Amino acid sequence: MTGLQGGAVIAALALGLVLSFRASNVINIAHAAVGMYSAYAFYGLRNYDVDSTERGGDLWLPILGAPSKVHILDRPTVAAALSIALLLAAFFGALLYVAVFRPLRNAPPLARVIASLGIFLYLTSTMSLRAKEIGSGAASLKLTSMLPSGVIKIGSAKIPTSAFVLSGFAVVAALLLALAFSYTRFGLATTATAEQEKGAILTGISPHRIGIFNWVLASLLGAGAVILIVGVSGVLVPTETSLLVVPALAAALLGGLDSFAVTTAAGLAIGMTQGSLVWFQLQSKSLPDWLPNNGLSQAVPVIAILVAITWRGSKLPNRAAMIESRLPESPTPRNPVAWSLVMATAAIVALLQLDAQWRLAIVVSTIAGFVGLASVVVTGYVGQISLAQYAFAGVAAFATVKLTKQGLSFPVAPFLAIAITIAIGLLLGLPAVRVRGMTLAVATIAAAVAIEQLVFNSPSLAGLGAIPRPEIFGIDLGFSATGDENFRAAFGIFAVILFVLATLAVANLRRSPTGLRWLAVRGNERAAAAAGIDVTQTKLSAFAVCAALAGTGGALLAYQSPALSAQQFMVVGALAVLALCFLGGIASISGALVAGLLASGGILTQLQGGNTGNASNYQFAISGLMLIAVAILYPDGVVAAVRHSVAKLRRMSTA
Amino acid sequence: MNPLLHIHQLGVSYGGLRAVDDVSIDVHTDRVMGLIGPNGAGKTTTIDAICGFVPKATGIIELAGRRLESLPPHSRARAGLVRTFQSVELFDDLTIRENLIVAASAPRWYSTMLDAIHPNRRVTAESVSDAIEMTKINDLIDLRPKQLSHGQRRIVGVARALAGKPKLVLLDEPAAGLDPDETDKLGELIASLPKRGIGVLLVDHDMTLVLDVCDDITVLDFGRVIATGTPQEIRGNQAVIAAYLGSAHE
Ligand SMILES: Nc1ncnc2c1ncn2[C@@H]1O[C@H](COP(=O)(O)OP(=O)(O)OP(=O)(O)O)[C@@H](O)[C@H]1O
Ligand SMILES: [Mg+2]
Repeated sequence: MTGLQGGAVIAALALGLVLSFRASNVINIAHAAVGMYSAYAFYGLRNYDVDSTERGGDLWLPILGAPSKVHILDRPTVAAALSIALLLAAFFGALLYVAVFRPLRNAPPLARVIASLGIFLYLTSTMSLRAKEIGSGAASLKLTSMLPSGVIKIGSAKIPTSAFVLSGFAVVAALLLALAFSYTRFGLATTATAEQEKGAILTGISPHRIGIFNWVLASLLGAGAVILIVGVSGVLVPTETSLLVVPALAAALLGGLDSFAVTTAAGLAIGMTQGSLVWFQLQSKSLPDWLPNNGLSQAVPVIAILVAITWRGSKLPNRAAMIESRLPESPTPRNPVAWSLVMATAAIVALLQLDAQWRLAIVVSTIAGFVGLASVVVTGYVGQISLAQYAFAGVAAFATVKLTKQGLSFPVAPFLAIAITIAIGLLLGLPAVRVRGMTLAVATIAAAVAIEQLVFNSPSLAGLGAIPRPEIFGIDLGFSATGDENFRAAFGIFAVILFVLATLAVANLRRSPTGLRWLAVRGNERAAAAAGIDVTQTKLSAFAVCAALAGTGGALLAYQSPALSAQQFMVVGALAVLALCFLGGIASISGALVAGLLASGGILTQLQGGNTGNASNYQFAISGLMLIAVAILYPDGVVAAVRHSVAKLRRMSTA
Repeated sequence: MNPLLHIHQLGVSYGGLRAVDDVSIDVHTDRVMGLIGPNGAGKTTTIDAICGFVPKATGIIELAGRRLESLPPHSRARAGLVRTFQSVELFDDLTIRENLIVAASAPRWYSTMLDAIHPNRRVTAESVSDAIEMTKINDLIDLRPKQLSHGQRRIVGVARALAGKPKLVLLDEPAAGLDPDETDKLGELIASLPKRGIGVLLVDHDMTLVLDVCDDITVLDFGRVIATGTPQEIRGNQAVIAAYLGSAHE
């Protein structure tokens, strides 16, 4: 895949993001995921060899509980398969708008982010299940390109014809959109709806229809782009393909989520930069060899964009933008000490009594709980929607292993690793100083991807293997052992005690002046500044605490896993944790507990009968659905809803 | 005597609009300065600029001899320049007492670490209890802003400003929406501040209140100062009457 091809796809996806943002003020993180599904639909239908007797024509369905595929017609032509795939994409676009984002148009930004995360999780997990059924290697779908395969020579450069076709597709789409938006009644009406729904009603077109139209258009563009590029690149992997949305988000943000022309140009530029970076990295002998193969090309554009949006933001929102950014209520923790004791006792008794699989599940839940606590602090208490928590955990985990390999021992290595993580946390907190809401969510996703690409995939971190067992006061805290003794309780007890201490610390912070400042900043940055609160410092302190918590989880993981891999710290994990916290109440410690319990491979998985390989996909898919439902039904969070109904019952019983 | 707050040639532009144009005001410790003008005259923008909320303001801002132009808003507040908002802007997630505590507590770099271990240290400053007592909001301190009436919220806004140990408070329409009784009490409170060593810059549309409690008044129109003087002088000033009549006829 050349830079120009990649750029064209990024541009086309970014155009869809701009469209749906204009229509309903939502940055749809699941945009490329819909395209990914359409690609499965298309290539599933076309999955037959023309020279054989294969029938093809199977439509894969992303519906949990329904059959994974239905046969609809024998040997469909490209046109037939494409029409079906695009029809489905259009249907999804309309469905997402009508069922999810229209009801959420006035909901807090967090609810909108959560809903789009829910869709992302649902589609990627159900399609991962399907991908396993399809199989890999020779069994996988035939991904053949529909585009002409020749090359065009310009000077000494050979550029594939398909690159021109693809970028032509993006540029023409941008042009048509720009024209439509400035000259047709529909375009003008969309602009009017974005400003105010009444504006659109005045133009005589129902805002509902405008929304559906824009979302269908966005979906079609995205599906078309993904189907085409998958053919060219020959790669279709649910999560990876859905994460094409990251560079597209970057392009859309550079276009201010408004300009079609700038967005397209930015998309093409990002793609070509990536292309030339790949080339540069291949050619250059002077680059350090710890640099992962595609690291520069994946990370550099993302970092550039981070810097650009950060630089363009402002430290305080202006007077006009002082809209309420409601977040779920944050109840003051009551009796944290008593709760912690109960929790610790239960976990320790379980660790001592139950079998190895249970001990593993408890440890997995505990570590996920740390990441959950990190989310509660930074997103729940301070209102900064961050999706970099797993990146923090990963930094700490890899640093612990690396430092141990350098000769540092327990507990010096993990301490130092957590300190490094805090420094990274402060660095990643910088965008939060200047951008807010959904834009910040996107910025943190970008940062997490950058870390993943540059650090976690680094050859110098690959295959580091296990590290010496931790030991304190002569007590062996190692996790592994042979036979039934494996997954030793000692390590579990150590992790649980750390978690309980962390929970207490978070409860303390929430009640202390630091916590009050956090909530003040989350509620109203201008008023906080006027009250003498250093908003920058307050946000950074939260990012530091967040990094320390996630980092502790990561350091534990370093001792728990026999070998670390980049997969353990992918941004998708952070999406899931944030989502689970939201279910349990993002602004209270209960959120972290729920995130821990429901973590894949954790206590709930064990209750359902243990890890069967597909469990995490099922779990993510179901949490995805739950999230969408919760975001729509209780945009202020489940806990608030429960509290309100309890209050209502009380009032009814006293009346 | 040097003024407590010295504003010299303050200017703010929004695009082509000169929202504040060459405004100079001196406020003295023992006096209440009124800042009045028709709607859109630039009063709030003046306060925004003084407190650092407008990124590109020009001019000199000096508090007790210290230049503040280059400081961010929170540092100006810590330096003693504390404002209220026309739209009140309390922290809805906090109780009234907590609203005052955050304004009073000045964190050190290590506060977060200490707070994680020992949250109930005595950090509450005297200024919180003073502010509660001055504004007579004892009954409200455990409630949340959403539970208060509009008038009560305004008073709490003033109390939060006072909790920040200000040398000078800038009050943006503190009497808007208050009933006559509440306005009277607010007037007494404002008039008592100079005796406690707190200077006041008062913006309000309630002329009775302004003429009553202010020692000096500055009048703005279209971002410019059109008159300065004692309430007596302002009452009879032709330019002022014209500005207000002009706006009334719009
Ligand atoms: N962020 C902004 N961008 C553009 N123009 C602004 C902005 N804020 C204020 N203005 C304009 O500056 C002028 C002064 O506004 P300001 O709010 O300071 O007036 P005011 O005297 O406080 O009025 P009021 O009595 O209604 O509160 C007005 O014309 C207003 O429209
Ligand atoms: Mg005003």
